[in-house]
Amino acid sequence: MAGRWLVYALGGGMGHLTRASALARAASRRGHAVVLLTNSPFASGLPLEDVLGTGVEVFRLNPALGREAVGEVVEQCLADVRPDLFVVDTFPRGLGGELVPLLPSVRARKVLIHRDVNPTYVKQYGLARAVDAFDLLLVPGEAAPFANHPRAVRTAPWLLLRASELLPRDKARARLGVPAEDTRALVAVMGCGTPEEVGEAGHIAARLDAMLGPEAVVRWLVPPGVAMDVPAPRAKQGRRAGASLEEGLALRMSTWPALAVLPGVDVLVGAGGYNTVQEARVTGTPFVALARPRLYDRQALRLRPEERAGTVEALVTRAAGLARARPARSTRPYVNGTDDAVTLIERTVLSA
Amino acid sequence: MSGLVCQENVGFLFSHGCGSPAAMTCMRCAMPLCEQHVTSVGAEMLCATCARQHDDYTGDRNGVDEDHPSYYYDNYGYYGAAASSGSGRAHDANDFTEADGASLRHEDDASFEEDMGGS
Repeated sequence: MAGRWLVYALGGGMGHLTRASALARAASRRGHAVVLLTNSPFASGLPLEDVLGTGVEVFRLNPALGREAVGEVVEQCLADVRPDLFVVDTFPRGLGGELVPLLPSVRARKVLIHRDVNPTYVKQYGLARAVDAFDLLLVPGEAAPFANHPRAVRTAPWLLLRASELLPRDKARARLGVPAEDTRALVAVMGCGTPEEVGEAGHIAARLDAMLGPEAVVRWLVPPGVAMDVPAPRAKQGRRAGASLEEGLALRMSTWPALAVLPGVDVLVGAGGYNTVQEARVTGTPFVALARPRLYDRQALRLRPEERAGTVEALVTRAAGLARARPARSTRPYVNGTDDAVTLIERTVLSA
Repeated sequence: MSGLVCQENVGFLFSHGCGSPAAMTCMRCAMPLCEQHVTSVGAEMLCATCARQHDDYTGDRNGVDEDHPSYYYDNYGYYGAAASSGSGRAHDANDFTEADGASLRHEDDASFEEDMGGS
């Protein structure tokens, strides 16, 4: 029985939006009508409707809205959509705690997408009580504090695209501007996280390009809609030209979702957010990353030792080494946990 | 510098990012830096960490940022000086580093449920 779902994907960066979009897309394909709520600063530039299809309606909140305004919008959204099912990503109390007074009067079944969160937050804000308000906790592919809750179920990691939807290697490289006759290793530096980190990824791409020269092709992957101004050069006596954002701009490729082109990437450089890490692992893409500090997420714990670089210097050195070595990569298809998640949710609704 | 902000850690008791507009990048690690947090080492403009690493190799303390706590306290840092410089005898490439530690510290815990850009 098709239902009306409201998916709450509030939170900075692209992670909450991408993970929730993966579920929304799978639900829509099973006939459910989905409303997706996001305040990601990247959402305005992403072609979400094209990727998610007509069955998913996206509400883009202004990322500048403060806590009280967000609370009012969420309350109004629940009243307007009147969902059969309310899915909340990561924050059982809501990003601003606004769900605590709202949930008792929400008649919809409630599902929490449960990933790792800062244990200080878990303790100080009583998340053990907050998760009890949910009928089902879905744990998509990694450890989480309440993964052993009686109503928690683990699934495979959630990906926005199925394995069959990824571009073949030649088309992926062409999408990234690499001619068919160019067989050099392709290093992709993922720009994501915050707008500042997208800019830093451009600097890292420029450094790798300078270090590898003709040995490899380097690309800086930037989400559509992210404006990176060319910086005004600052004259500094005695300063030689370093890796600049101008150089990075020459390497820039606007692409989303980046998962689609990973079959053409030989080395992925990025951060330790959920989606980048899971996408690299399921596609078998050699991967090296910085653990970026976050308020709730703990990227250093998600990254494996062989994936984690402690400094930008180490990151660049290891990425260049991987590009030169070109280690063999796995190409076996992966299981996308979103299909199981939709099945589990449907059972939960039917059991109501 | 196109909206980039200085990434140098500041604060004596509670470490946090500087956040001032970046004027340049470290010539070794590309960290965005404001003019206050650039250390001149010879012809190079470096962040404090790269400047310290330079000193570890050369023994040169000229040009080091005297405002940085590490100038006065050898053990300043999350895991101590040896861990941050990578020169400790027990260092392993897979160890958590000072940078990893920084990503796990939550000294701005007070902003839980206040920061609508949290993730």
